[in-house]
Amino acid sequence: MNQVISQNGQNNPGGMKELISFRIGAQEFCVDIMAIREIRGWTPATALPQSPSFVKGVINLRGAVLPIVDLALRLGFESTDASDRNVIIVADIGGQVVGLLVDAVSDILTVTDDVIQPTPDVASDTAKTFVRGLIAMDGRMISLIGLERVLPDLELEAA
Amino acid sequence: MSMTVLTVDDSRTMREMLRLALADAGFRVVQAEDGIHGLEVLQAEAPQVIVTDINMPRMDGFGFIEEVRGDPKHRAIPILVLTTESDAEKKNRARMAGATGWIVKPFNPDKLVDAIRRVAA
Amino acid sequence: MDPLAAIRDTFFQECEEQLAELESGLLAMEGGDQDPETINAVFRAVHSIKGGAGAFQLESLIRFAHVFETALDEMRSGRLAASADVLKTMLRAADVLADLVSSARAGQEGGHPQQAALSDELKAMSGAAGADDDGGEEDWGDFEFQPMSAAVDLPADTPPARAFVVRFKPRADLYAKANEAALLLRELTRLGDSNVELDTSEVPLLTDIDPEAAYLTWTVTVSGDTDELAIREVFEFVDGDCELSVEAQGASEGAGETGLDIGALLARVQADAIPTIETAPDEPFELEAPAPPPVADLAPVAPPPLSVVSPAAEVHPEPLAANQARKTEAGATIRVDLDRVDRLIDLVGELVINQAVLAQRVMEAGLARASAVAMGLDELEQLTREIQDSVMAIRAQPVKSVFQRMPRLVREVAAMTGKPVRLVTEGEATEVDKTVIERLADPLTHMIRNAIDHGLESPEKRAAAGKPAEGVVKLAAMHRSGRIVIEVSDDGGGINRERVKGIAIEKGLIAADATLSDEEIDNLIFMPGFSTAAEVSDISGRGVGMDVVRRSIQALGGRINITSKPGKGSTFTMSLPLTLAVLDGMVVSVEGQTLVAPITAIIETLQPKAEDVHSLGGHARVISIRGGFVPLIDVGMALGYRATPLAASDGVALLIEGEGGARAALFVDAIQGQRQVVIKSLEANYRQVPGVAAATILGDGRVALILDIDTIVAVSRGEMRKAG
Repeated sequence: MNQVISQNGQNNPGGMKELISFRIGAQEFCVDIMAIREIRGWTPATALPQSPSFVKGVINLRGAVLPIVDLALRLGFESTDASDRNVIIVADIGGQVVGLLVDAVSDILTVTDDVIQPTPDVASDTAKTFVRGLIAMDGRMISLIGLERVLPDLELEAA
Repeated sequence: MSMTVLTVDDSRTMREMLRLALADAGFRVVQAEDGIHGLEVLQAEAPQVIVTDINMPRMDGFGFIEEVRGDPKHRAIPILVLTTESDAEKKNRARMAGATGWIVKPFNPDKLVDAIRRVAA
Repeated sequence: MDPLAAIRDTFFQECEEQLAELESGLLAMEGGDQDPETINAVFRAVHSIKGGAGAFQLESLIRFAHVFETALDEMRSGRLAASADVLKTMLRAADVLADLVSSARAGQEGGHPQQAALSDELKAMSGAAGADDDGGEEDWGDFEFQPMSAAVDLPADTPPARAFVVRFKPRADLYAKANEAALLLRELTRLGDSNVELDTSEVPLLTDIDPEAAYLTWTVTVSGDTDELAIREVFEFVDGDCELSVEAQGASEGAGETGLDIGALLARVQADAIPTIETAPDEPFELEAPAPPPVADLAPVAPPPLSVVSPAAEVHPEPLAANQARKTEAGATIRVDLDRVDRLIDLVGELVINQAVLAQRVMEAGLARASAVAMGLDELEQLTREIQDSVMAIRAQPVKSVFQRMPRLVREVAAMTGKPVRLVTEGEATEVDKTVIERLADPLTHMIRNAIDHGLESPEKRAAAGKPAEGVVKLAAMHRSGRIVIEVSDDGGGINRERVKGIAIEKGLIAADATLSDEEIDNLIFMPGFSTAAEVSDISGRGVGMDVVRRSIQALGGRINITSKPGKGSTFTMSLPLTLAVLDGMVVSVEGQTLVAPITAIIETLQPKAEDVHSLGGHARVISIRGGFVPLIDVGMALGYRATPLAASDGVALLIEGEGGARAALFVDAIQGQRQVVIKSLEANYRQVPGVAAATILGDGRVALILDIDTIVAVSRGEMRKAG
């Protein structure tokens, strides 16, 4: 399932990135594989009061309590109607372990930095917040997501 | 077999310094935290030399030396007193109690080792 | 890690312990403790700090510790009376010593502003005349072995002699101290070419020999590159236990020509000197050996040279047997890395959860309660609980470690405010989780400062009120129903309620026409915004309000409140969990969610009748309980799980007592049961959630939220006020 994409055909190990791609609705996204701890099936989450709608709640992952973020809602799409068919990507975001609810994981990509194109200026605020770049591949467009701001912003919420 | 030295000192810092200095010199080091503990260790160990502090809880160095000297099994073990005491009175008391010699803290590791070799048969 | 750096760490760790010991000892003495072991321990503490400081060449520390130690030694020997004034100075010296240790630890060796003044005071106490009271450079400056033979007072510039004649006659004492003539001679002969002669003329007849006496005299001629100082140094340890003369000689007599083979001699002396005398001093002994081995001209002379076996030889030594009794006094301890303990606690937490999951699965499988599996599971639960308690106990420590920081604070604040204060502590041995202890220091510091600064009146006012000039601040700890309760009380004037109410109105915290009970007024000081402004610093002090104290106590799962009696003083009472790892909870359901309420807050549960519940407009309701009205808080609404309140007859009310003793009833759908739960942090991977104290994992493996009752009540109160 590995796929090496290199537009100029050069081998450039220094600029190599492994990305994991996943689907939300019809859209395809990817994140740096270094941030991913594991991928697991959906389990019902315990709802958290006073939390933004994109926080589905918390689940027990081998004794740790981790929040589940509905990535569709977070990115401004329709909510994912969570079921057994969904998966949770467990990611380490700045030392916090967070579960990202997505429709399905599709691929692991190995890319060089130069295939990642900058996000066009026309992008919405949500896109600017999360999308780090675009990758064109086999006629599909995959958005590279940065996870730093996935959890609710404390300052903004508190204000 | 390497020579065994028993160190008796209530200060962890001192015990660790002694261990470092003596182990470096190739001695086997056994440790005790005060006089009473020292006597207990003596029941299981047969050190060739004892290095003891004076000011310790439960049983001080004087008491410890007297006990060792009063015990036929251990009376012949040379005992060096390791102490910060510099006044003559304390030295004399240690002598009276049966100390073989003494070293003033802070000690120079080489001199300590020399002193141990000097008294060890 | 560099071994020396590791020892340095040990040293500073040990310093902390010694400083604590020092202070508590001095305080005990101030309180009238006359046990000589107390002053001994105090002396040892400073002495050990000096010893370690010497090893690391921490000059200011050494110097100050030395002066301090000297004064303590005077006190220990009874030459300096332990008067109140003397002890006060000692305590201040202990503070300076603590500061010097801190700066040394931080790598700053700058000294201390009060060091010189206190050194002078201490020296004045010690009589100061001693030549050695500077503690200084000549004794400590260099990291050197200190030869003790003060007797050697030779001028250093004595012209080197070609040879020395050393006459050495050991006394019995020399051997009694485990010194060996043979070793000394060996050492001596290493100094140069040597010639050894042995004088055996004093050796008595065999039958008259005292095995512990000394009869021999050696005359050693040493020639070569040596001096008298080196020779005397050889005999350093035996000074006084032998007759020793060292004479410089014009020329060598030709060492090695006459008499004895030194090697043979040494071998001989050494062999004989092997200590085989095993006789008690007043017991008769028999000679089993026919005679001491005769070797050449050497008579059996080296004391103690005889192979003597007494009947007592095999008897177990008495003194040690006596010591056996003493050895049990001190409890054996080991030091364990905290991470290991915490890892263990985590694992046991997992075990508890797994055990609960298993128990639930067994129940679901429909096995009878009396079945072997179910019974085995009960035992497992029992064991798991015991393991958990034992593991938690490892982390438990007496509150002493935080209490003993307070006397210094009291001295400082007393000095700053000019109010004489006595600190009384109680229950120092009360144990609680280490983390709780660590996080208690700040709130306690603030509360004690507050008690002196604002609780206690000025000495003049106290005199006018007929109170002793010296105010009393009491710090007490006790266990009460599975929690630790800590009280900080003062015998001051109590809370000025008019003033507090005035400020609260001014700050807009309460309505101008609000009617509040005394208790409610007193507890206003915990409200955020009450005491942060400068103009009310006479109540809060230093810009840190009591709301901050309350928040830090709440963060520990604790509660704080105040009771105050005008003219008599105030008491702050904190109640904290014994551990931050588990909690006794009541498991409830609310709108399909499973929640846990801390059992300690719950007074009783009740099934309300429709007629007991009254609406106050909006969704605000009260419930009448035994004639009184208590706010009824719908937990589902408070947490946003539902938009309309549950009908009064459809749920269960948990009557709870929040901070400040205020009561409220939490309304939930149903009670599932009680159980101990392992507390899991929400903040580790998410953040704090209002109304939720933490999370836990239940038997079904799902996360349940633990309610933060105080916040829920506070928020609902606010809404109720708006509504009413």
